[in-house]
Amino acid sequence: MLSHLVVGAGLYFGDSIFYVVCFLLLMWIVKVLAWKPVTKMMQDRADKISNDIDSAENSRNEAADLVQKRQTALANSRSEAQTIVNDAKTNGQQQREQIVTQAQADAQTLKQNAQKDIEQERQDALVNARNDVADLSIEIASKIIQRELKADDQKALIDSYIEGLGKQHES
Amino acid sequence: MNDGPVSTFQFLGLTFSTANIVSASVVFVLVVAIVFFASRHLAMKPSKGQNFLEWLIDFTNGILKGSIPAKEIGGFGLYGFTLFIFLLLSNELGLFINLALPNGATIVRSPTSDPITTLTFSLMTLMLAQFAGISKLGYKTHFRNYLKPFKVWIVISIFEEFTNFLTLGLRIFGVIFSGEMLLGIIWNLAASHGIATMIVAVPLEMAWQGFSAFLGAIQAFVFVTLSSVYISQKLEVEE
Repeated sequence: MLSHLVVGAGLYFGDSIFYVVCFLLLMWIVKVLAWKPVTKMMQDRADKISNDIDSAENSRNEAADLVQKRQTALANSRSEAQTIVNDAKTNGQQQREQIVTQAQADAQTLKQNAQKDIEQERQDALVNARNDVADLSIEIASKIIQRELKADDQKALIDSYIEGLGKQHES
Repeated sequence: MNDGPVSTFQFLGLTFSTANIVSASVVFVLVVAIVFFASRHLAMKPSKGQNFLEWLIDFTNGILKGSIPAKEIGGFGLYGFTLFIFLLLSNELGLFINLALPNGATIVRSPTSDPITTLTFSLMTLMLAQFAGISKLGYKTHFRNYLKPFKVWIVISIFEEFTNFLTLGLRIFGVIFSGEMLLGIIWNLAASHGIATMIVAVPLEMAWQGFSAFLGAIQAFVFVTLSSVYISQKLEVEE
């Protein structure tokens, strides 16, 4: 049963050559059929995955940049809005003060005019009253003392009285 | 099983064993068929066959990477892959197909259950190791490795090469040959006394068949592992 295993008696060296040829042929066939395309595909996949990882990293960085920019823009617009509101407030304040000052000035002018008018009226009334009183007193005097007096002299006399009265009142 | 007469023929003055030639051809065709059908429709997203092939390639590359530095694997990857798939199918072939001619001579069995096959592969690996060592280190450095750690060591170094050659080849042969022989013995037992022995022997046969399949895979793995170890030894300068 083991007779063929005895070296020299049954080792078929032809087989050895056949196996070597067979194996080399098989290696070549495997290389052409499977080894090259499959390892190439595996390499391609590894490359693709590493590329994908790189591009994902880039996208992440880009997104982070965008967020940064957006936040800066937001902060800017917020401060801008603040400035606008502040400006508007200042303007409003100024306008208010202006209006109030204007109104005060107007009121002052009106008051002064009114005072002038009143003074004028008073003067007029005083002059009228003086004339009336002069006429009346002439009539009264002519009736009471029956004496002929020239109206003009009488008037001068009355005036001097009234002047004296006015001075007394004013002082 | 190498029971009974052995069928041989002469060609160009060399003796060939029919069983070895036929079995090797069967394995050859099987390997080509598997590799061919698994490598159709290659795509970036692998389908069934491609997944299988890629797994197998990763597996054998992993074995090689265990001992050979990654940047020096290069062509050894293809060698390891082909060796592994060829030996695996060779080991398992005889467990499932065992044909004999009418005169009793086996015609299809595990090619690896004949020492000439395994010693051929063993010799091939060691030759490849020598070749790789010379092409990487140059003749001088390569052969100076035999003189290290001191000159007398050359006797042991050369003897070691010889034992490497024998152990690498005979280990796988022993396991596969004994597995097939035991299968045959159990079968003879099953057939010896009719139905009674059949009931006992058939489960035993199945169990041993499964175990042999496992051993066959292990031996193919061990063979490729040791091959890579022997190759890697020749790739470095000994101190």
